[in-house]
Amino acid sequence: MAHEGMVHALKIIHRLLKTDGLLVDIHPIAEGYLIKAIQGETILFSEPKRETCSEDVIQAEKAISQVIEQGLFALDQRSEFDFLTYGSSVPELRAYLEEQSSFETDPVDDALDERVEGLYAQIEEIMQTSPADTQVAIHERAIMSLLRPVRE
Amino acid sequence: MTIQSDPEKNETRTLFEMADFGGKRVLEVGCGDGRLTQLYADKVAAVTAIDPFAQAIHRAQLKLPEGLQDQIDFKHSSIDDFARVTEPAAFDLAILSWSL
Repeated sequence: MAHEGMVHALKIIHRLLKTDGLLVDIHPIAEGYLIKAIQGETILFSEPKRETCSEDVIQAEKAISQVIEQGLFALDQRSEFDFLTYGSSVPELRAYLEEQSSFETDPVDDALDERVEGLYAQIEEIMQTSPADTQVAIHERAIMSLLRPVRE
Repeated sequence: MTIQSDPEKNETRTLFEMADFGGKRVLEVGCGDGRLTQLYADKVAAVTAIDPFAQAIHRAQLKLPEGLQDQIDFKHSSIDDFARVTEPAAFDLAILSWSL
């Protein structure tokens, strides 16, 4: 969604909320995310899957700031949390992630794709020589914001 | 093993610490396959969960457990179209779940 579309959506939500209503926004933080191989409590491999976040995340932060500056919402609380998605194999996790991102509109980045393919290959190699309960995981850090609509 | 999303429940713990869901009328915008919707729906009065992608809503409806069918109304709709047919101030709580 483009920045203008995000601000527009927030304005509509403002109208749909009751006077004492609340908006919760959840989105990843801007630092990208990690791909890991984990066995029990031990992290066997951990590398950034993306060095940077997608443009959408930057725009989402800007849109939230804009509606606060415009006096439509007031920020009540913000909290960060870790969000991990585990798979028992690389193909299983990849299939899931592809399904989840099938509607994303990020442009294709060949260099990034090549790098990610390399990371998946490294994880597969580790998993082949590790105990059977080794898992592959995507580790995202996300931010949750609680916003209160402001009425004049 | 199937895919496990947030088995540590960090997301729902943060969500429930932040907002009171009891008896609320909730609008979830960009609900995708309803993963998060299912995790709070039993605490609220009703959920309307919208997504502009028909395939996502189809998946959400397929994955919906029987016990939550009366609780969640999944709608294939953009927020613009939804707002056109919805009264203002209709919801206590709105959630943008990884969708902005």
